[in-house]
Formats: sequence, structure tokens, C-alpha cells
Amino acid sequence: MKANGIGGAAQSPALAAWLAIVGLILVVAVPFGAVVLQGIFPNLGQGSFAGPFSSLFATLADSALIGMAGNTLLLGGCVVLASAVVAVPLGVFRALYRIPYAPFWDVVLLVPFMIPPYIATLGWIMTLQPRGYLQQLVGFNLAPFLFSLFGMTLVMAFNTFPVVYFAVSRTVEAVGSRYADVGRVFGATPARAFWRITLPLSAPGLAASLMLVFAAAIEEYGTPAALGRRAGFQVLVTGIDLRITDWPIDLPGAAILSLLLVAMSLVTFLAQRWILSRRSYQTVGGKPTAKDKRPLGALKVPVMIAFAVVAFLATGVPLLAILATALSRTISGGLSLGNLSLNNFILVFGNSAGAVGALVNSFSLGIATALITGLIGVTAAYTVVKTRMRGRMTIDVMTILPNALPGIVVAVGLILAWNMPWLPATPYNTGFILLLAYCCILLPQPVRYTTAAFQQIGDNLEAAARVFGASGITAFRRILLPLVFPSLASAMLLVFALASRELVASVVVAPVGMQTIATFIWRQFEQGSIGLGMAMAFIAIVITTLLPLLLLTLLRRSGLVAE
Amino acid sequence: MSFQPPATHAAVSTAGVELHYGATPVLKGIDISLSKGKTLALLGPSGCGKTTLLRLVAGLLAPTKGSISIAGQVVADAATGTFAPPEKRNLGMVFQDYALWPHLTVGGNVSFPLEMRGLGKADRQSRTTRALERVGLGAYADRRPSDLSGGQQQRVAIARAIVAEPQLILFDEPLSNLDRELRENMVGELAELIATLGLTAIYVTHDHAEALTLADDVAVMRGGLIEQLASPDQLIERPATPEVADFLRLGGIADLDYRDGLWVFKGSDVALLRGAGAAGNNARVLIPVGAISIGEIGPGRLAATVLRSQFRGDGHLATVSLAGPTRIELQVLSRVKLRPGDAVGLSIDTHQVRWFSGDIHSSKKESLEHA
Amino acid sequence: MLKSLKNITFGVVAAALTAGVAHADVTVYTAGPQSLIDKLSAGFTKQTGIKVNVFQATTGKVMARIEAEAANPVVDVLVSASWDTATDFAKRGWLVKYSSPNAAKVPDFLKTDSAVAQGISALGIAWNTKSGTPKPTEWADLTKKEYKDLVNIPDPAQSGSSFELTAALAGQDNFKLFNDLKANGAIIAGANADALNPVLQGAKAAVFGAVDYITLAAKAKGESIDVIFPASGTVIAPRPAMILNWSKNQDDAKKFIDYMLSDEGQKAVADEMLMPARTDIPANRPLISDLKLLKYDTAAVYGKRKETLAEITKIYGGK
Repeated sequence: MKANGIGGAAQSPALAAWLAIVGLILVVAVPFGAVVLQGIFPNLGQGSFAGPFSSLFATLADSALIGMAGNTLLLGGCVVLASAVVAVPLGVFRALYRIPYAPFWDVVLLVPFMIPPYIATLGWIMTLQPRGYLQQLVGFNLAPFLFSLFGMTLVMAFNTFPVVYFAVSRTVEAVGSRYADVGRVFGATPARAFWRITLPLSAPGLAASLMLVFAAAIEEYGTPAALGRRAGFQVLVTGIDLRITDWPIDLPGAAILSLLLVAMSLVTFLAQRWILSRRSYQTVGGKPTAKDKRPLGALKVPVMIAFAVVAFLATGVPLLAILATALSRTISGGLSLGNLSLNNFILVFGNSAGAVGALVNSFSLGIATALITGLIGVTAAYTVVKTRMRGRMTIDVMTILPNALPGIVVAVGLILAWNMPWLPATPYNTGFILLLAYCCILLPQPVRYTTAAFQQIGDNLEAAARVFGASGITAFRRILLPLVFPSLASAMLLVFALASRELVASVVVAPVGMQTIATFIWRQFEQGSIGLGMAMAFIAIVITTLLPLLLLTLLRRSGLVAE
Repeated sequence: MSFQPPATHAAVSTAGVELHYGATPVLKGIDISLSKGKTLALLGPSGCGKTTLLRLVAGLLAPTKGSISIAGQVVADAATGTFAPPEKRNLGMVFQDYALWPHLTVGGNVSFPLEMRGLGKADRQSRTTRALERVGLGAYADRRPSDLSGGQQQRVAIARAIVAEPQLILFDEPLSNLDRELRENMVGELAELIATLGLTAIYVTHDHAEALTLADDVAVMRGGLIEQLASPDQLIERPATPEVADFLRLGGIADLDYRDGLWVFKGSDVALLRGAGAAGNNARVLIPVGAISIGEIGPGRLAATVLRSQFRGDGHLATVSLAGPTRIELQVLSRVKLRPGDAVGLSIDTHQVRWFSGDIHSSKKESLEHA
Repeated sequence: MLKSLKNITFGVVAAALTAGVAHADVTVYTAGPQSLIDKLSAGFTKQTGIKVNVFQATTGKVMARIEAEAANPVVDVLVSASWDTATDFAKRGWLVKYSSPNAAKVPDFLKTDSAVAQGISALGIAWNTKSGTPKPTEWADLTKKEYKDLVNIPDPAQSGSSFELTAALAGQDNFKLFNDLKANGAIIAGANADALNPVLQGAKAAVFGAVDYITLAAKAKGESIDVIFPASGTVIAPRPAMILNWSKNQDDAKKFIDYMLSDEGQKAVADEMLMPARTDIPANRPLISDLKLLKYDTAAVYGKRKETLAEITKIYGGK
């Protein structure tokens, strides 16, 4: 590794790069490599390299494959469309107008992130199916809508639209009102100013967020599994799951389907990065101030109604359904006062079926995952953005890769990799394997956030620190780290929330005798104790929502994090 | 202070315009009037409300009180709730940060106002080319704004403002992001452009040189009010308040007390001039730079010490302090460079001294031989 | 401050992470109910002092794990929900031959030389008593119009016992029953729990071929649900327990099997609403002797698994 200009500067980037590389190899390259090898060598699990490519053609020749791949793309497309329809208008209004109680809406629209998709889906099922909560309350049900592509799309869109909402409100806020105002001075009507200026300027940010949604949608397991199966709608992820859970197990086939899915997400992410790097105007132009926002005027009531309806559908319905189920003595008792019971919550706190242990495990893992991904993320982003080191493209690729790896693929890859008989020591069958899985799945979050933050920091800031006598490491620690800390902290909080509810990989690699929140819930569902599962889900959602908010508030108050 | 009441022939006029952010008043009652083909400069320190006033005229803000008319049309009236949005006001505007749309080419930026006015493609193209050529950027139409230097970007912004020949062009500190040399060149070019095109313009700046160079009328603003609205000559000749004089850097401001038939510098025994007055009278005066000549210390001259000095193009502008217990600062132009601490002698042409709060008429005063 | 916070977190995390490390304990993979294995392992540890590590999931997921771990397996005892697993593993030579002294009272058809049943579940009709439909007594009842659109069928591809029921019934009338069910709006609704949950809430009236113990446990909790075992016959799913030949703790594993088949262990099985494997242990539910079992050739049925599932897929669409 070469020094980069300032004399003796080499040690800090080199250290960061080595940290990033070691972390990335352990967390990303190993499981991914194992999946690729498994796809090529079907008997890898037995430690044999016999019959390379023998299962490739069998899997790819499966006539159902085209259907699955097509369905995956169709579902992804529909979810993107629905998310855009829901989120773009709200985001634009949030960015350009003074919305009453704006912070409240932001928090409420953040909650869908915290509701695990499979729980939200179950909440929707229990609400909309015949004799579900909706029918019990108002006398009709919407089951035909729910168990269809349409229903799947809506449920998933309500889960993912916050990505678009926050991206749009942020980009439009940064570029929108200012440049659009200039357009109006030069004679454009508000509508034309929006179409000609605000929208094109926000388009890269919007497109990037929609691609995130697409990638999330094609990787989602819970919703297609619960809703799609009944509609005869099989996607790649459920296909992979079937190959892994259907006896006899077809790991090579699953690996090949995984690689197909990986290819799809990879294309999406490369396209997203291409768009962002080619045409991002976010850093251009002045900072908007609250004063620049316009009053809603006559639009106040309709916009408020729109916010309330979306918030209710995305947050209210799933949460209420979860709570109603958790508070029911029996499911068949339905919504009646006599059926109201805190029994399920008492069972959770009474450590029934290891509930408390599951909570402790998940939150410990969440914290550890946040710390590790934060460290790898910040060093990798620094190396990629701020150094001219050879090999940084490799680091870059390794950090994007997990975006394209569904949880189940990561899990299978980790088992394959870490269960080789010749390994002297292995994290397999300890909590560390879960940690590795979560780190791999969630690494893209801190990388994405900190990369953006590093890109906004002028090179002179670090140079100035060096000129004034700071070593490379000191400059990084004292200057760069504090500057990216707000982004890093948000990313780590997100990682914590997502890690503590991860299901798919947890079910497959959880070590013996160890439960997490998600596996606990899943097991309760599988054994018909829906109420107990929902009580756990509700507690987890409350904690994963409140804890980060509390922390952010504390950090903000202490001045460590700016808005 | 003299201003005309809003008249129908005025290109722009405002009457009693106030703007409040919540309980905080930003503008406290602004009356201006500008005739067609004239340029008005809004001059003042940051926070004085000049940019706010410009945004009110642009329609980017609505007044809390009062009304604004452009070309005889009321575009905003708080009393009736009339409000014409910016696009209905037929304006051009140049922004401090250029505000070029980064997703459009230079040509796309410049032709945008024409497009909004519904002009045909051929017409747009020729006028865009003409506007760009006028600012010396004819060859840059296909470039991206981000490929241009700051000065070039501002020229594009100017081309965009003039291309549709709007009835009024607003300049919001257009040159303050440029370095000095470029700024000075651009002031000249802008003045020429405004004159040749006969533009009606409002020009916001905190630089008095720009204001005095470009404008037919200058409104000096302070704390949300117009301190003085006058032509550049009038401003220099007869600044209405010490603050105006100070902001225009016309010279030193001094407080005088009347004692024993003499006007003496407050807190000292140094007399400036003999004159009529009553005991206990006091006054503030402007001693213009040009009223003081500098020489060796000697009889008939006031002793002073140089505090600091700066080269100003036509000489060294020195700030000096009169000898004595209190610090009385005056400004003086010297042909030679002065160093801090140098002792100098000043003689003041008291006819040029301007009195702000007049208990007495200047004609009653006589010059005083300094002892 | 931040540093000490970090230290504390690391401490907690490390403690939590290493909690799951397998020592020289018995490792049990089970497809059975979590609460049963919790009770069994707690009782076993209390009696012998040997710690039990448990991995509990569906049969499919347990299999996936064993296959993925094939290179370096850790499982000592496997309790599957499908007897087929025992047959298959025995054929592969993966099992340790063992006859527990406590297995004496286990009927012969529930044990081989390398596997013994932990307990037995049976399939029946799970019916919501408040659904407003007449109580079904036969499989064919569910093709009646009272049950139009109200019947769920567990996915035979995802549940071994469900597959055996499907194969056995389909063999009797060449899929006529399943065609009639389809015509009456029945759907295939995921694994066992996925099929049952809508019936609890009342979205569906009945599950065609529900696993009885889950339903009976729900009933015991006060859900308005009941299980009907049709007189024409049903299938049972003995849950084989076996010791894997790669186990390094085979003696302890055998002790676990012994405990599982002890009075205490079998009582725990009965408490989960499963039929105990031993005939001398009482249970508060219908036993094998109360049920009529469908006659079919297991080997033949599994031999045609692909074809049967393909036919079901053809009838019910999708997939």
C-alpha cells in the first residue's frame, strides 16, 4: 500500500484498509464463496469436489424456474410501484410544506421498519381473512384481495415504503424548494416547476430508494410464503426455502437459485450506484431552512388525511392486529372484552419457553452486530472514499455483495463454510455464527450511510488535521470519525433494530439451545400459540422502536448527533 | 428623506410593507418606488432585511402588512389577500449562489424562462444564444453548469435573468461569491449591461461601492427600515444619519459638546470650531475623509496618532485618534503610507463638516483657528 | 464513559454468545414441540446431571441442518416427526443400534433396532365448534356444501404425516376425494400451523388432516376447536427417536433415550397431548387403540412421492 501524498500518511489508511479487508473476508467472502462452491460442487457438504456443475443444469432446466424468476421480478416491480405511489406524494409534501406534527409522522412512518414483515403479514391475515378482526368489527372481509399479488404487493409496500418516503423527503428538501422557487421566478407554474426542476433533481435519490425497495422485495421471504403460496405464487426465495426444507434437501439447487437471486440484486444495486454516482445533485445548493417551507393552506385537510390513512394502514393495522391477538385469551374467542387477557404477556415475562432468554440473546446480538458492522462499515467506506489504495474496488464490491445475498443464502453459506471437518476451531454452533450471519446481512447499512457521509467531507479537513500535527490515526479519530458519527450512529441503530428481529438466517443457523426473538415467535406460531408469539412480537417492536429513539434523543441532547 | 407615493408609472413600488416571522418583525414598514429603466440598490449590513424585501418583490414571500405593485399592478396586498405568485410577475433574478439547475445544460438553464413563456424552439434558441453571447459564453451552451467556474456560472445566471427581457430584474448579492478582481470587473460589465438594455432592476448588496456604482437610487437599510433613499450623489453629500455615513464610509463620526462658544470633541478639550449654540448643546457630525488634510504636527493642526492604515487605490486610508484622554477616531487619506503609532497633525476644513442633529445651522458657525 | 459502556456491552455479548457452545453434552435435534423437549431435557439433566443442547425446528429444517452439517455433524439424538426419516437414515447406515430397556412396553411396530417412537400423533379433522357448520365425522363430509370454501389442507409437501394421509386416501379412490375437495373450495394452506391458525379465528371451519396434538393443546387452552378422527380411518405419525452413529456421546445419548421412555418421560409426552409410545402410560386423549388406521404400504407410498405431489399440485394449482 502506498502513501497518499502527505508524508507518513500510509499507516492510517493501511490500518483501516486491513481492518476492513479482514472483516469483509470473514463476514462476506467466506459464506458467499461457500455458496458459489456449493453451486458448482454438489457434494461439498460431504467435503467432496466430485461432479462439478452436475446439478447446475438440472436446476436451471427446471421448468418452474422461469415462473419463479418471473414472479420474483413481477413482485419486485409491483412493490416498487406501490411504494412509490404511497411514499412519493407524502415525501414531497413533507419536504416542501410545513406539515403539522411533522416529527410525529416521521416516527410513526418509521415504525413499519420495526415490524418484522412476517409478523405484519400475519397481522394483515388475521385482520382481513373471513371472520378476521375487520369482519368482527364492521361485518365484511377482504380475503380475496389479501391472498393475491395485489394483497402481497400492498402488504410489502406498506412495509418498505418508509425507505422511499425518507429518501424523497430528504432529497426533495435539499434540492426542491430552492431550485423550484428559482424556476417560479422565471415564470414556471408550481406544477411545471415541480415537473421540470424538483422531480428531475430528486430523481436519482428517488430511483436509488426504489431500487432498495426492489432488492428488499425480491429477497423477502415471509410475505410471499404466507400470502403467495395460497395464490399459487412462488418466488425464488420460497423456492430456495423449499429446496432447503423439503426432504430430501437440495442444497446445490438452493445454492444455484440463490446465485440467480444474487445476480438479480447485484444488477439492481449496480444500477442504483450508477445512477447515484452519475447524477446526484444532493450536495449542490444551499441548506434549506424551516422558514423556506410553505404553509399547506387549503391542502391541509387532505394532506393530513393522507398522512393519517397511510400511517394507519402501515403502522396502525399491523400493530393493532398484533396487540389484539396478543391480548386475546383464545384466538377463537375473537374481539370481546371477556376474551381480553394479559396472559400472553405474563407468559413472556415469566420466561415461558425461554422468552426472556430470547430477548436477551437478540438484543445482545443486535448490539454486537451494530458495533462490528459499524467498525467494518466505517473503515471500508473510508478506504473506498478517502484513499487511492489499490484493491479498494475489491472492498467496494465486497460491501455491496451482501445487499444481494438473501438471509437464507448467507445462512447456508455460513454452515457450509464453518462446518468443514478440518477446521481447528469454528464459530459454528455458538452464538458467533449468528453474529456472522447478521453482520453479513446488515453490513450494507453502515457502509451506505458512512460512504455518503465521507463523500461530503472535503479532503482538506483531514489534510488540515495532518498539517496541524495529527497522525493519520488521530486525524481519523478526531476529525473524520466525529464528522461521520451522526450517520454512523443512525446506521448502527438501524442495524440493531433489524438484527434483533432477523428470522430466516436465525432459524437455520441458530446454535443448539439458543433462541432469538424471531425464532421464538416462529416456533410459537408453528405450535399454534399465536397469541404468545404476538405478545413477544409486540414487546420486541416496542423495544426496537423506543430504544433507538431514546438513544438518538440522548445523543442529540449531548450534541453528538445533529439532526 | 424623500420618497414619492406609489404612482401608476412606477415600475415597482411598495407601500407600508411589513414582514413578521411569528412575533419577530423583519421588515417594519417599507416604502419604495422605482421608475422604469432605473436601478435601485438595497444596501445594508447582513440581517437588515434587504434580501427579505427582494424576496417579497419576487413573490417568494408574502407581506404581513402593506402592498407591492409591479408596473402599476398590485401583486401583493396583505389587506385584500391579493397575491400573485412569482411566475405571474414577469421577473428575472440573479441569485447569490447562482441557483443554476444542475440537471440542465447551460443552454437549458438560459432558455428555461423562454420556455415558460411559451416561445417556439427556434426563437428560444436564437435568444438563448444571443443572451449567452452577451455575457461572453456563446460557446458554452452545451456544457453543464458544474463544469464552469464561479464567474462563468454567474454570467450564465445573468444571461438567464435577461433572456426573456422581463419588466424587472432582481439581483440578490450576485457578486458576493466572487473574488475581488472578478467582482470589480463584473460590476462594470453589469453597469454597462443595465445601461445598454435599459433594465429596471433592484440590486441587493452589502457593498457600498457596488451600490453607488450601479444604482440610480440607493436605499440604505438598517434593522428592517430604510434609513435613507436617495441618489448616490445625495447620499454622499447629505447622508441622513450617522449610521448611513458610517456604512458608506464617508468619514469619521464625532460627538461634539458646546462649551464657552466652542464646539469641542466630546470628552476632550479639543475644539473643532467656534459657533453659535447654547451651553449643554451637543451634536453628532460627520467629518468627511476629504475634509481633513494631513501634515506634520504644528500650530493650527490637531495632534493625532495613527491607529491603522489600509491602501485604497487612491491613497492610504488611515484611521487616526486625536491626542487626548478619550479616543476620538477620524479617517484621513494620506498619499504616503502611515504606520501605526506615527504622530500626525490634522487640519480640518470645517465647511465640509456635516451636522446630523442640528440645534444650530451650519451657516452660523465660523471656522476656528486651532490653537 | 463510552469506553466503559463498550466494555459492559462486550461482556454481556460475549456471555450471551458463548452460552450456546456445545460441550460434552447430549445434543438433541427435535421436530417435536419445544415445550416437550424443554421438559424432557430439564428432567434428564436433573436425573443424570448431563446437560442437553436442543435444536428445535420443523422436520424439514432439522433435516436441512443435518445435511448442511454432514461434514462435521454435532447431533447425537434426533427426534423426527416422520418415521420415514428413521427408515432413510437406517438405510444410509447413520444410526446406532440400540434397544432401550424402557422400550419393552413399546409395541413392535413403533420400534426398530435403531429407532424407537417418542410418541405418536394422529391426523384428524380439526373443526371450529363455533364455525356454524355441522360437526364433520368423515373426510368426505368436508366436500359437502356446508363447508364450501371453509376447508384448509396442510401442504403434503411440507409435512410428512400430511403426505402419508394424502397418499393413503388418494390411493383409495384415485384422487377423487381431493378433486371433490377442490371443487368445494378447499385450499392447500402451508404447513400444519399455517393451516390451523385460520380455523382458530374462524376464517375456515376445518383442517383436513390436522396434527392432533397441536389442536388438542389449543383446545386445552380454551380455543373453540375439536379434533375428529373419522371412522373410515386415518394415519398416525410415530415420532422416531434415534442415535446418530457419529455421536461422540453415545452412552449419554442412550441414557437420554432411556429417560424419554421412562415413566416420567412418557408422562411428559402425554402431557403434550401426544400419544405416549408406551402402551402402559395413560393419556387424556384417544389412543391408537381407539383409532382406525388406514392400510397402505409405506414403502410404495414413498416410492411414488414425487408423482403423488405432482398430482396434488395439478389439482390445487400453483407451485
